[in-house]
Formats: sequence, structure tokens, C-alpha cells
Amino acid sequence: MAGQTDGIQLKESAAAQLATARAAYVKEAGRGRAGTETARRYADQMDGVVQAVVEAACGCTDLPVAVCAVGGYGRRALCLHSDVDLLIVFDGTIDEREEAFVKGVLQPLWDLRLELGQHVREFADFAEPDLSNPEFLLSLLDLRYLAGSLPLYGRIALSAAGSHARASLDPLLTLVSERHARFNDTLYQLEPDIKQAPGGLRDISVIRHLHMLAPAAFKDAGDAGHGRIAGAEDFLLRIRSVLHVLGGRDVNLLTHDLQEKVADTLGCSGAHPHHRVESLMGEYFLRARAVTRALASAQRAVRPRTGSAVRRIGRQFEITEDGVQFAQPNRASQQPSLWVEAFRIALEHQCPVAESALSCIEQNVHRCGADDFVATEGDRLQLRRLFTPRAGLYERLSEMHDCGLLNRIFPEFAKVHCRVVRDFYHKYTVDEHTLLTIRNVESLLDPAAANRRRFGSILQELHAPELLTLALLFHDVGKWREADHAQESVRLTQSALDRLELPDDERATIEFLIREHLQMSQVAFRRDAEDPQVASRFAELVGNEEHLKLLCLLTFADVGAVSPETLTPWKEELLWRVYVDTYNRLTLGYADHLLEGDPAGLSVLIAGRPADISEHELVAFLEGLPRRYLTTFGLGAVYRHVRLARDIKPNQIHTFLENHDDVWELTLVTLDKPYLFSNVSGVLSYFGMDIHRGQAMTTPDGLVLDVFEFSDEEGFLKQNVAATTEISRMLEQVVAGSVDVSSLLKGRERSLLNRRRVRRPPVVHFDNEHSRKYTVLEIVADDAPGLLHRITRVLSAEGCDLHLALIATEGKSAIDVLHVTRAGRKLTETEQDSLERELKQVLEAGE
Amino acid sequence: MKLVKSIVRPHKVDDVRDALEKLSIAGMTVTDVRGHGRQKGHTAVYRGKEYSVSLLPKVEIEVVVPDNVVEDVIEAIMAAARTGEIGDGRVFVLPVEQSYNIRTGAKETS
Repeated sequence: MAGQTDGIQLKESAAAQLATARAAYVKEAGRGRAGTETARRYADQMDGVVQAVVEAACGCTDLPVAVCAVGGYGRRALCLHSDVDLLIVFDGTIDEREEAFVKGVLQPLWDLRLELGQHVREFADFAEPDLSNPEFLLSLLDLRYLAGSLPLYGRIALSAAGSHARASLDPLLTLVSERHARFNDTLYQLEPDIKQAPGGLRDISVIRHLHMLAPAAFKDAGDAGHGRIAGAEDFLLRIRSVLHVLGGRDVNLLTHDLQEKVADTLGCSGAHPHHRVESLMGEYFLRARAVTRALASAQRAVRPRTGSAVRRIGRQFEITEDGVQFAQPNRASQQPSLWVEAFRIALEHQCPVAESALSCIEQNVHRCGADDFVATEGDRLQLRRLFTPRAGLYERLSEMHDCGLLNRIFPEFAKVHCRVVRDFYHKYTVDEHTLLTIRNVESLLDPAAANRRRFGSILQELHAPELLTLALLFHDVGKWREADHAQESVRLTQSALDRLELPDDERATIEFLIREHLQMSQVAFRRDAEDPQVASRFAELVGNEEHLKLLCLLTFADVGAVSPETLTPWKEELLWRVYVDTYNRLTLGYADHLLEGDPAGLSVLIAGRPADISEHELVAFLEGLPRRYLTTFGLGAVYRHVRLARDIKPNQIHTFLENHDDVWELTLVTLDKPYLFSNVSGVLSYFGMDIHRGQAMTTPDGLVLDVFEFSDEEGFLKQNVAATTEISRMLEQVVAGSVDVSSLLKGRERSLLNRRRVRRPPVVHFDNEHSRKYTVLEIVADDAPGLLHRITRVLSAEGCDLHLALIATEGKSAIDVLHVTRAGRKLTETEQDSLERELKQVLEAGE
Repeated sequence: MKLVKSIVRPHKVDDVRDALEKLSIAGMTVTDVRGHGRQKGHTAVYRGKEYSVSLLPKVEIEVVVPDNVVEDVIEAIMAAARTGEIGDGRVFVLPVEQSYNIRTGAKETS
């Protein structure tokens, strides 16, 4: 009877004690002040409750027993509805009496409706660390005495700090990486879990654990970062306290609904609720970023040192185990171009930019303006090349963003810094969504991403992949305000494009991608992509396959960065189908759509023509050319072609050769004749040129316009002053029929073909559906010197006329699309079979 | 009550949803699915290589409706999802024995 009375009294007293503690906590939380100190006080009050309960249960066991706090409770970071993590250890075998003790402790606590996380052990269990239970191992790092045998606690603490702690490091790092992966490895969540997400409370405890586990690694680190981490913890605990009070349970997800209430409770500034939320989330991201940086730095510090030597990169940089550092920090602090260079080196050497270099940039970046990073042609080129998709680009751009450099270089991007746009789909802030799109592009280069190889292959084919990344960087900057963000993004990007001084066609490509960045997902996911009108309008919009590839990848990256669940295999399939259908329309089906059917395009050309070109001359030149011609060539190129075509006579050829960086472009105009294309491409091969891409168009009047893009593989153009003249002369002789290309090439082809190693069976495919007038022949084969010459020679030998050609290379494959006829009509099946046999013989034999 | 389950072309989802909203059908479940009916997929060609597209992307829309509006719902879905071409999809109607609201615990009746 007395025992029962004692039990009731205990319960009543514990309940009263807890109620007082909770009331105090709730009061502080309601004022937005329940941070670190309140959590500690609450933990201390909880200690009193637990100690009273333990004391009452002590008579149940004769064994020495220690009751300890572990986990968050152990480190006194206890919120209103946090789990109360207890460790009960007996110095002997657990029997019925001990079980009664455990029940005597836990039952009253359960009756108080506390969420308990209890671990019951015999001391013998501490002989070896339990590696199968990493969470328990880590909870011991916050071991704290509550009640019971102090000597036993001392022995437990010794084990926890010894072999158990030593065994904790690897599981700790693994758990961090697994937890971060659940959040897509980004802290910029629109609805963050303030405990588990990167930059949250869990990370703060990890930082402290790392310091505890490897103190030697931090002996030179100083205390500078501790205040920032303590500030972040206090801020996050204040948010958590409001969430717990509002939710009535262990709520840690700061949802859109709760953000307004939390912002008001914490007294965030702003006249409108939306502004107060922005203020709250702005501070949240700032704090969380400080935590993730401190964690990354701590993770690097505890990594076993490889002892590798410091590598010097030029006079200004060195690469240490921490990453790229400035060799002369004082000097580097004054030179913005060195900051960008540091990131370029980091990307090249696949390492991070060291924390010291990031801090140097962060402290000095406010003194620079956007123009300081593009002062010279070299600066602009370096900046542009920085955006080439490759492994580590997202990480480096994130570092640039975190230290404030990216916003300084592109203040247009700063407009969406931590910008929160609420909708049903997006999970991240606008700036982080943008950086994640770039990570998605980068992921396509990962050989492990086999399931996305088809999109990866498009990326490999891009002429200038950095245009895709630049377009992605700016595609959502217009979201800084509520309006048609695509148009606004184009408007805002103008100043950035001005500074980069990109060529007109590249600038137009970036503008196109930004302006139309929603169109492909609209067609793929919201329209009937199989409707010929929808498909045809979309093909017209993109205009050429380079734009299509860029837009497809941009869409892939953009949708995938909305949230990890958005780009499902189902959506990927829809996107891929639209890509394939449009690609086929652009490469196989373009021949029937002539420029005459594009009055708007024609009138632009006529209106903008230079004085030396009459309307009559222009219209006559364009007659019979496909509409694709205008989407492929800019105005300047068109007028140059008109001039080249002037006064052209049979057996003559007019050429124009120019180079852009390492790529040469040959434009030629002549009149059609058998073996023409084969002979021209043969001449380029003869001079050692590697043809990357090309176009050939023939008008019904027999005017031929060919454009070849190639690299000077053997340095012929570079090493010979008269090389361009020599190539032109050889072309003239070949067209005039005074030189036989096949015999010139024979010896060269044989020696080069013998060097070929990888051989994949060639693909030869005929299509009589896409075009009304032509048979479209697609060939995919291993690229080889003189390949184009050999293919087109077979066509001519088989009596075929080549009207249009699209030549492309993808890595080591050549992809040729040829529009042909025989005797003015499409090829019959018999003719196709014969041509296929001949082509395969040439492609497989190599000769 | 009946469960009306329709498999429609992806781009027809909005039309079907609008049509159902006009009938005051409040709740629905929409799932991205893949499958084939008589259509049995087709072949596509990319870069000269043929590949078969055997499972086609579709969207499944499920609504539970009172018996007295089932016919209207079926008619509305069919009208909204029809293009007249092969591959427009199917509508299935299944009986629903019981229905509960999880939040309130209330049993719902038609």
C-alpha cells in the first residue's frame, strides 16, 4: 500500500516537475527565444525528472547500475518533443530484478508521455564496440551521467572515450554522407528539415564529434568558427522550438505553412508576411551554409593525410591536400583574375579550392565589380571555358557561389540569391535549382550513369557545351520577380552576354535557350507530341539539330533539378521521343520545306541585304534552298554565299576559308557534277583535315553550296604559309577534272586505315517516308580519314545524285545523313539493297 | 460507389481533369504509367537504328464516384480523352465496397 502511494506521489511530482519545465519552454518558444540556453535548461529539468524516477526504482536491483543520457539529450540540446535518449547499464548479468528496475524507470516516463529512446546493456557489452549499430556507437559520444553508480559510469565513459570513440569515425562519416544524399546533397531546400538536412542541427553535432574524435587535426584551427556554429545552433533551436510547440510533436520540417508562423514568432523583419518569410529563410540559408562549410572543412581535417607533396602550379598557385591555394595570398587578394584561375585549376586537377583561398576571396570580393573579371580577352575566354561541363563543375560553382564570387562576376545571377518561389513542384531555392541543373548535366558524363547514356551521347556531340551551362546559369534569373520569367531572364542576361563578348551566333543560341526553356517540356509532357502539327511547330521553333540537342539537355537538366522525384523514367522517355522525332524531322524531313514557304525569313534577308546585293540576285540564289538554310546560317554568312555564287561557271569553284580557334571552315560554291562531293571531301582528307561536320545543299538549278568544318590534324595549314592557296588550287583542279582524287588518296588511306583499332559494325539505313522527293540515307560508322570521300564515291558509282548532306561526328563515330535520288526519283528497294551492299563493303573493309 | 479507372494519353490529363471538375468530381489519383493495349507499341528509328517502343507512356486517372453519376463520368472522360486514333486508352469501372476518410475515420457512403 505504501509502495503504491509512493508510486502515485512520484508520478504526480514528476508530472508537476515536467509540466513546469514544459511551460517555461513553451513560454520562451512563444517569444522566439528558446535557443541553446532554453534547450539546456529543459534538459537539466528533465534530468531531475529522470533522477527522481531512477531513485524510486533503485531498490529493484542489487547490481550496480548507471543511468546515462546519450544523443541529443546527452549534449543537453533537448527540445520540447525531442526523444529522451537513455542508456541503462548493469554491472553484471541482466535478470528478472534488473528487468523490474528497467520497467520501474521506463514505465513512469512513458506515463508522462515522453518519447524515450532507451538502450539497456550489461557492462560486458562494452568490451568491443558494436559496429553493427553505428547510431548507438555515435550516441555514446554524448554520454552524460544522470543517476546510479558513479564508478560504473566512470568505466563506461572510459570505454566510450576509448575504443568506442576510435571506432566511431568511419561510421560517422558514412552516416553523414548517406543522410546528405537523402537531401540530394544540398542545403537549399525550400522546406528544409532543420534537424537532418545538410546544414542542420545534426551536422552541428557531427562537427563537434569530429573535433572530439580527432583533436589533433584541429590543433591549428583556432576558435574563429566556433562562434558562428554556436550562433547557427541557437538559431536552429529557436526555429525547432516553435515547430515543436505548433506541431505538438517532434516536428522538424519547416514547411511553407509553418514558415510564416515561425517568421512572426522569431520577429523577422518585413512589412508583408512574404517578406518576413524571405528574411527568415535568408538567415536560415546563411546559417546552414556556415554549418556545411564548417562540416566540409572538419571532414577534410580528419581525413588521413596522404603526405603527398605540395604541387606548385605556376607562380601563383599550389595544390595541397586541402585543394588549390594561393601561393601569395596577399597578392592574390588584389587580383580577381587569379580567383577565377584558382577554380579553373581546381577543375583541371579534380580537387576543391582550399578553405583558405575561399576565405581570401570572400573577404575581398566586395571590392570588385563584374567588369573586373572580364577586363581582357584572356579573362573572358577563361571565364567562358570555366563553364565547360565536366566532373566537379557543380562543386566548384557552389564554392564560387558560397564565397560570393559567382554573384560578383554575374550580378544578374545574384538577383535570385536564395530566392524562394513557392509552387507545388520546386524543392530548392532558385539559385540552388540553377546550380543543380548544371550538376545534372555533369552527371551525364559519369560512366556509371548508364541508364542515361542516350542523353549523355547528345552532350558529347555538342559543338560548344559551355553555351548550355551558361544558358542554364541564367535561365531562371527572371524569377526575381513575378512575371513571365523566361522573357525577363533573357532581358537580364543581356548585360552578362555583353561582358562576355560572345560571337553573335553563340549569343543568339543562349538567348534562344533561355527564352524557350519551357517549350520542350510543354511539348513532351503537356501536348500531343504525336500530332504532326505540334511536332512540326516544335521542329520549326528549334530550327536545327544543335539547338535541339541543347534544348533537350537543358530540359532534362531543368526538370531533373526541380526535385529528385520529378524527372521519372516515364518523363525521360517522353522527352527522348520528342527529341528523336524532332531530330528526324530536322535531319531527314527538312528537304521538302523550301525557303519560298518562309516569307518572313525572306523579307528579313531582303531588308537587311548590303548595297552590293540586289533583291533579284538574292532571291535567285535562295531559290530551291531548304528553309533549314536560314536556321543554320546567319545573315552575314548568307550574303557571303551570295557573293561566292556570283558568275560561277561550270567546272569552276569559288571558296572561302576561315578559322575560329582550332576549327576551320571551308565554304564553297560550284555547279553540280558527278563525284563532286566525294572529290571535294577527298581533297580535304588528302591534306590531312579531319572533317567534323558539314552541310551540302544543291538547288534544282544545280548550284551547289557546301560548308565543311574541320580540324587541321597534321598542322598543314598552320605550318605552311601558302596552305590555303594550295588547297584552293587543288579544289579548282579537282572540279575542273584535271586531278583524280582517288589516286591521290590511295596510299594515304591505306596507311591510315591500318591504324584503326576499334571497329563497330556500320549502320546503313534508308528512309523513303520523311521526304516527298528524296530517299534519305543515314550512315553511322567508325570515323576514319577519307570516310566521307569513300561513302559519296560509292553513291556516285551507283548512279545516285546527292542533293543534301548533313555530316556530323560524335566522338569516334561519323553520322552522315544524305538525301539522294537516282534518275530523279527515290531509290527502289532493289537499288537500296545494292547500295547498302556496296556501302557496307567499303565501310567494313575500310577500302 | 464505383471506381472509375481510365488510362489516357499523357497530354489528355488536363482535359480529363477539367471535364471531371465540371461534374464536381473533387478527388482523383493520377499516376504515370507505361503499358500497351492493342497498339502494342511501334518501332522508332534514331541514327539509322530501329528500336522497338513496346511500352507506351500513359496516365492512369482514378476516381471514386457515386453510382448515379458513373455514366456521366465515363462519358466525360471518353469525350475529353478521345483523339480518334489508336492508343486513346481505356476506361474500367469497378465496384467499391467501402470507403473511409483516414483523417476523420468516418465511413463514407454514396
